[in-house]
Amino acid sequence: MSFLDRITEGWRKNRKPGYYEDFDYHWAMTIDLDQCSGCGACVTACQAENNLPIVGEDAFTKGREIKWLRIEHYWEGEYPDVKLNVIPMMCQHCDSAPCETVCPVSATYHNQDGLNTQIYNRCIGTRSCAVYCPYEVRYFNYNDHTWESPLDQQLNPDVSVREKGVMEKCTFCIQRIRQAKDNAKDDGRRRVRDGEVQPACVQTCPSKAMVFGDRNDPQSQVSQSLNDPRSYKVLDELNTNSSVVYLKKVEAEG
Amino acid sequence: MPNIDRRDFIKLVGAGGVGVGAGVVLRESIKHPKEHLIPHVLAPEDYSSGVATWYNSVCSMCSAGCGISVRTREGRAKKIEGNPSHAVNQGGLCAVGQAGLQVLYNPDRLTGPLLQSANRGSDGFTQITWEDGLTRVASRLDVLRAAGRGNRIALLTRGVGGHLAELLESFAEGVGTDQLHHYDYDHPHALYAANERFFGKQHLPYYDLSNTRHLLSFGADYLAGWLSPVHHSLGFANSRHGGDNRGYFVQIEPRMSPSGAAADEWVPAKPGTEGILALGLAHHIVASGHYEGEDINEWKDVLSAYTLEKVAEETDVSESVLRRLAESFANASPSLAIGGDGAGNNSNGVDTLVAINALNYLAGNVGEVGGVIFNPDPAGATSHSRQANYQTLAQLAESARAGEIDVLILNDVNPVFTMPLASEFKAALAQIPFIVSLSSFIDETSALADVILPSHTYLESWGDAFPEQGVGFSIGAVSQPVIAPLYNTKATGDIVLDLARRIGKPMRWDSTEDCIKDGWNKIYQESDSNTRTESFESFWTALLKAGVWGKKNHLKTDTSRPNANTIASIGVDAPTFSGDAELYPFVLQPYRSGMHDGRAANLPWIQELPDAMTSVVYGSWVEINPKTAKDLGLTEGDLVDIESVEGAVRAPILVYPAIRPDVIAMPIGQGHTNYGRYASNRGANPLEILSPLVDDNSGNVASNATRVKIVATGKHVEIVKTGGKSRDLGRDIVQTTGGDDHTAQTNSIPITVIPT
Amino acid sequence: MNVSIQPALKSLQTAALIAVVAVVGIFVGYFIDFLITDNPEVSAPEQPIAFSHKIHAGDNEIPCQYCHTEARRSPSAGVPSVNKCMGCHNEVATESPLIRQVSEYWENKEPIPWVKVHDLPDFVHFTHKRHVQAGIACQTCHGPVETMDKISVHSRNNDGPTLLASTTGEIMNSETSAVAATQNDHWEMGLCLNCHKQHDVVDGKAVRVDDGGFDNGLDCWTCHK
Repeated sequence: MSFLDRITEGWRKNRKPGYYEDFDYHWAMTIDLDQCSGCGACVTACQAENNLPIVGEDAFTKGREIKWLRIEHYWEGEYPDVKLNVIPMMCQHCDSAPCETVCPVSATYHNQDGLNTQIYNRCIGTRSCAVYCPYEVRYFNYNDHTWESPLDQQLNPDVSVREKGVMEKCTFCIQRIRQAKDNAKDDGRRRVRDGEVQPACVQTCPSKAMVFGDRNDPQSQVSQSLNDPRSYKVLDELNTNSSVVYLKKVEAEG
Repeated sequence: MPNIDRRDFIKLVGAGGVGVGAGVVLRESIKHPKEHLIPHVLAPEDYSSGVATWYNSVCSMCSAGCGISVRTREGRAKKIEGNPSHAVNQGGLCAVGQAGLQVLYNPDRLTGPLLQSANRGSDGFTQITWEDGLTRVASRLDVLRAAGRGNRIALLTRGVGGHLAELLESFAEGVGTDQLHHYDYDHPHALYAANERFFGKQHLPYYDLSNTRHLLSFGADYLAGWLSPVHHSLGFANSRHGGDNRGYFVQIEPRMSPSGAAADEWVPAKPGTEGILALGLAHHIVASGHYEGEDINEWKDVLSAYTLEKVAEETDVSESVLRRLAESFANASPSLAIGGDGAGNNSNGVDTLVAINALNYLAGNVGEVGGVIFNPDPAGATSHSRQANYQTLAQLAESARAGEIDVLILNDVNPVFTMPLASEFKAALAQIPFIVSLSSFIDETSALADVILPSHTYLESWGDAFPEQGVGFSIGAVSQPVIAPLYNTKATGDIVLDLARRIGKPMRWDSTEDCIKDGWNKIYQESDSNTRTESFESFWTALLKAGVWGKKNHLKTDTSRPNANTIASIGVDAPTFSGDAELYPFVLQPYRSGMHDGRAANLPWIQELPDAMTSVVYGSWVEINPKTAKDLGLTEGDLVDIESVEGAVRAPILVYPAIRPDVIAMPIGQGHTNYGRYASNRGANPLEILSPLVDDNSGNVASNATRVKIVATGKHVEIVKTGGKSRDLGRDIVQTTGGDDHTAQTNSIPITVIPT
Repeated sequence: MNVSIQPALKSLQTAALIAVVAVVGIFVGYFIDFLITDNPEVSAPEQPIAFSHKIHAGDNEIPCQYCHTEARRSPSAGVPSVNKCMGCHNEVATESPLIRQVSEYWENKEPIPWVKVHDLPDFVHFTHKRHVQAGIACQTCHGPVETMDKISVHSRNNDGPTLLASTTGEIMNSETSAVAATQNDHWEMGLCLNCHKQHDVVDGKAVRVDDGGFDNGLDCWTCHK
């Protein structure tokens, strides 16, 4: 078998429908836009959990801020019939991710839990992935970021501090998933229980608008939430097959 | 091989030498640095290296009293999360609560006692020892106390609840002063006053958002700042989760707040007319026969002036909208009206909130599930009875100017920042001969101190909290130290206890921990002896582990009718504003943004947290209606002076689609002159230019009653914003649905149902 | 006109020569630094107290986890507290000058600043707990510590035993041991990956297999963080 054949075969194998169902977990998240108030607690939770840098005012003016999770604001209508729609936007962990196919060094790839992951050591900073990402949720380290002492004592030891020239993005708090799997092994269980692992944003959400869990388990909260008639995927027409599913905001009549 | 002459030879040798040197330097620089493994001398029991330990405690960033769980690794606090067992927040936590870690690890924190050795207000602070600092303070106190002039000592603390409040009371008694004031800028004085007038109770009731079907919020930004935002968010979500029972939320306010954005309907009534609007709805409810109580005639009398037609004219809300709101409020069961923030901070604030209470009463919401439920008395002290309103602080300033105050003790409080310049509070402080601050930071107020005795942060000290607005039943929690103190600081309680000992008035506790434990011992002794644990010690351990204590003693009493006098007193005057409407055409609404009352401005996470409505980071802005901006020829980023009768502040224009054309709004929190590297010299503080117009019924300043004008400076700055595009570009990113397919019951959320 | 390019060529040659010499110099400098500093003295650095694992783990056969208690329940193996040292040395060899040093730390209530020998980069997640519980002997990665007077990452010089005592007490031979001791000389990704490729987890224990290793064990995020 030629080298090319082997690559093609591998690619086919990994692209066949239902590929991820063979694996233990297929992590997914739903966000109920009818409950989200856009308060931003999740944004700070993410920053605290994942060692996101304090970039400073200058970086913001240059569009170089790093927020794995951000709240997008969309205004609609004109005064007095004006409305603000908010939506938390983070890496959608697409099962057909445009970013994965373009990385020249395979620094971003899909792992067997259905996560779109980024290997910082491999990344050479071409930023192609950020260009290909339709959700604009990949962030590049234009600088080496520092924490003024003793703010560095807060840093989470389970998460790397990324350096200059590296792309980064939401990981679904993979360190928490790893911890949950570890706890399951300690208890002699093969699987992580539903609700046992929550990313920082989901954990802190004051209005419990976010649900996270294993999509392969039909009983899980997230699977049930995915079946909600209000569910939709952002930019679904691009066939990214994202793992983050939103529930439509309800427009009620008074 | 070419011939090498002398010059080239030297060049080659030089190149070789530099190369070798570079090679050595290269390897040395990429070599792994030497690291150490530092063991314990004596390993603590609850510690295992590489394994996280969690401690339950209480958040002290605001007065809501959320329970927190703090993750620690190797003796350092790493993350704050909501305590899932705590009934107030049930695992959730707001951004400021999580940023509490940056209070602890703030690079601008004071590391030990300081003495001002140059002029007051300068940075001539020098390090001193605790012994020196405490002696200096104690000797001053002792002289005054011994001479029977203890009343010349004033204590001003941030709102402190629980047994620490009792400790402060006891100290004030010991030194012989009654000048003990708690001060929080956002303390709801008007709400307490309104509840006393209507219900006969100076208490906060429990607003049951969780079970309500129809909410009318008059200016209360219940999701982002009012009373207990995390608990309200849970209630909001629960109400939005009930299938057919989805609650309908209406927000009545001149500037759309996050709660307004989340609501189903936003009604921009004229500022200060919220109470009139409420009475208009009340009028319709009574007139259309929705209310059938015995006292209906009294109500008809008092409400006769508030016909929908007249109210529509005064509030700038159409008659049809008013009628619809009144009908749906009366028909929905249960329904709930709440009021605060914007509605309470006007010249008629208390009357407005009384009118909202009346609306609840007429719709039958008082004492009902999904309505206004009375909390039992908190099991421990709350700060309200000692909370200083504007008048109290103005009185304190007056005494200071008159030379009647010799010593002022400040505890983690910053009135210089939150008091309007017109109060001349800062100048009054200068008249006090000796000021001590127990603050962890040099802020605008503690900068004026003579001695700073820095206290622990809440993550390093003992305390407890009994959230008053609570959850409908008695609840309390202990705040325990989650890490060893980082610096040479002491707990507030321990400083006070030490001072008391030094002036010969020792209290009955040895330490703060002792005081807290003593208080909880009383709660333990009073509990049912059949169900309680064997000993206090086991109760205490269980309490610290759970992080929360509760007693299901819900009070469903007191639905007694308001008496005739109370009903007759109901009525809301048209609001008054300071400043001439011709000269100062806009009403200024300073609102609390993510920085609370400004105390969170020194936390970099909060500075970098995009504003919930505008996505702005790092700065202040002036929100203005698009039409007004067009009329004035202003665009985003134009730097303007906002001038009131009292003064001016400068900030850039931000065109804000959801604000009345006659109102402008500015966030509170920025504009610090002296609060560390992250907060100082950034943005503007709109509180400075407020007129000291006081609502006599609450004694507090009517912070939404100052008129201003906009003066363009011709300068332009870029407003720093984030959060993606503000245009959808037809991509349909946020999708909505008409409400037909929302009935499917999805996941169940473990929100505590309030027992009745 | 008679134009020669010779002078230009010559200066070009000289420049090239200088560049080559400089580049060679960098390699030489790098190597010199390697020779000077990368001897066993550095890879087995001087410790504040000349603690001998040979005496403790070898001669006296004290199990590794008697002191490194956390290895079976925490990602990090843990260094014993000074108190732990004194637990024995209150009675044992109290007069030895080395032990006097320990008691001095204990009396001053100061920790002993041990120098870290086995160090993983900060971007690596490694958990002792999982490996110890899977029955992998400490020596598999750390080499024959019980023969070392001074701990070092180089085990090749020490001719480590092929029979490694497992943490469960049974003896593993080189077939069943996770990795041959000769692979220990470099703590790099290959060391981890080879072992993960050759083993599967059966009933919580690492078992040698030939086809591709165990679930999840080859995902980058198993070890990277």
